[in-house]
Amino acid sequence: MEFVNPEGLRLDGRRPMEMRQLRAEIGVVSKADGSAVFEMGNTKVIAAVYGPREVQNRSQQSNDEALVRCEYSMANFSTGDRMRKPKGDRRSTEISMVIRQTMEACILTHLMPRSQIDIFVQVLQADGGTRSACINAATLALADAGIPMTDIVTSCSAGFLNGTPLLDLNYVEDSAGGPDVTVGILPKLDKVTLLQMDSKLQMETFETVMQLATEGCKAVASYIREVLLENTKQLESRRGV
Amino acid sequence: MVGLSLGEQTFIKGGIDQDLRTDGRKRLTYRPIFVETGIIPQASGSARVKLGATDVIASVKAELGKPNPSYPDKGKVSIHVDCSPTAEPSFEGRGGEELSTELSSALERCLLGGKSGAGAGIDLSSLCIVRGKVCWDLYIDGLVVSSDGNVLDALADAIKAALSNTAIPKVQVSANAPSDEHPEVDVSDEEFLQFDTSGVPVIVTLTKVGRHYIVDATTEEESQMSSAVSVSINRQGRICGLTKRGGAGLNPTVILDMVSAAKHVSEQLMNKLDSEIAAAEACDEMES
Repeated sequence: MEFVNPEGLRLDGRRPMEMRQLRAEIGVVSKADGSAVFEMGNTKVIAAVYGPREVQNRSQQSNDEALVRCEYSMANFSTGDRMRKPKGDRRSTEISMVIRQTMEACILTHLMPRSQIDIFVQVLQADGGTRSACINAATLALADAGIPMTDIVTSCSAGFLNGTPLLDLNYVEDSAGGPDVTVGILPKLDKVTLLQMDSKLQMETFETVMQLATEGCKAVASYIREVLLENTKQLESRRGV
Repeated sequence: MVGLSLGEQTFIKGGIDQDLRTDGRKRLTYRPIFVETGIIPQASGSARVKLGATDVIASVKAELGKPNPSYPDKGKVSIHVDCSPTAEPSFEGRGGEELSTELSSALERCLLGGKSGAGAGIDLSSLCIVRGKVCWDLYIDGLVVSSDGNVLDALADAIKAALSNTAIPKVQVSANAPSDEHPEVDVSDEEFLQFDTSGVPVIVTLTKVGRHYIVDATTEEESQMSSAVSVSINRQGRICGLTKRGGAGLNPTVILDMVSAAKHVSEQLMNKLDSEIAAAEACDEMES
């Protein structure tokens, strides 16, 4: 199947290096300490952060740092075919662990010992790149909750089909069987916190694809920064500053 | 949620006694309802309803299936609710299962009527394509994103809005298939039939706090309740379902009183909801 036509356009009309449209909103779940909605094209994800709060399970409490927990669940209607089991399946458990480890790397946990931070991510619509959308949404939600972090974490995926590196794969391109590289970076510190890939890729091509994904991450980072700045301005004006 | 102090509890109960709740509403006033339709493009119909801080999403998916052999000329509808941990940290893992099951069965009871489909809010015979062989299976999925009390009412409103938004594709059955084989069904991509939701009921939950009952309780008010009665009423003012929750016993006259109050409130709610749904659909059409 042709994923990049001779004119260089993908199935949804994008250019190979073009990301899908990003949209983010902060503070959607008023009960949560912090929350955000993040959309990458048709992939839509809600993240809610509860914390820092008292540890529920005393045996897991740590005297030096905060406990970070994460749960990823997909809504029944998020995929094309209705899903039977929204959570508890192996893919969800794996992604929960991945998000937790990624966010734990950037949260200053030693500032909040004996406490717990819960990150809940709910996928409303899945169209490829859910992992990345979840991490981006979690970053915004943590910022909304005022939890101290060393840097924001942004994530983006890239692949390689029909001999062309493609940025930000959607579901159709992802299920084509080609490689899918997901990268998560700390943009200011320029460090990689998440790197996952499936399928196989030549070493030189891998470098190009990873570079492309990292560029995508930086683009997401500048968008996230804009959203946070806008949000802060609104808070300022509400306070009458 | 952090527990309420004695002072806060007295404040809530006292306010309800004097017909002035903590957010300024009267006992029988709903919070402003905000409806958005067509938010899940992959579903046949979908809607999102916000009732104050309570936020729920409902989606309807229509798939081809085989009718129940005991009722060959009726389609099938199943309702399933999922409580997302974003609403309450305690819903993590399997924590939300109890509430999900309770909500799903309450909704099924109100919307689906008896086993034979008699008295259902949704006309099941309209879902039949070929008697005994092919019918539409409607899967209605609810998701509680944020909960601040009165989730059942919000879910019922969302399901009503999602059903109004549902477009069932027209099917053409090939006429020359042998009678006992599975007939060929051609699902049209172009033409759709809008679902008829005039018979779909709404649910009004009355929560008894102290000596009075209130409509559309927030989580704080629900924590002070002694019992709650959820009444499902349709446009004709007929009662389609009734659930009583909570441990305290209620005098039967009080229940009858609550039911008539619910009927009265439901008229306003229906009108408000219908106008909100119409506005949402118009918005949706303008955008697309």
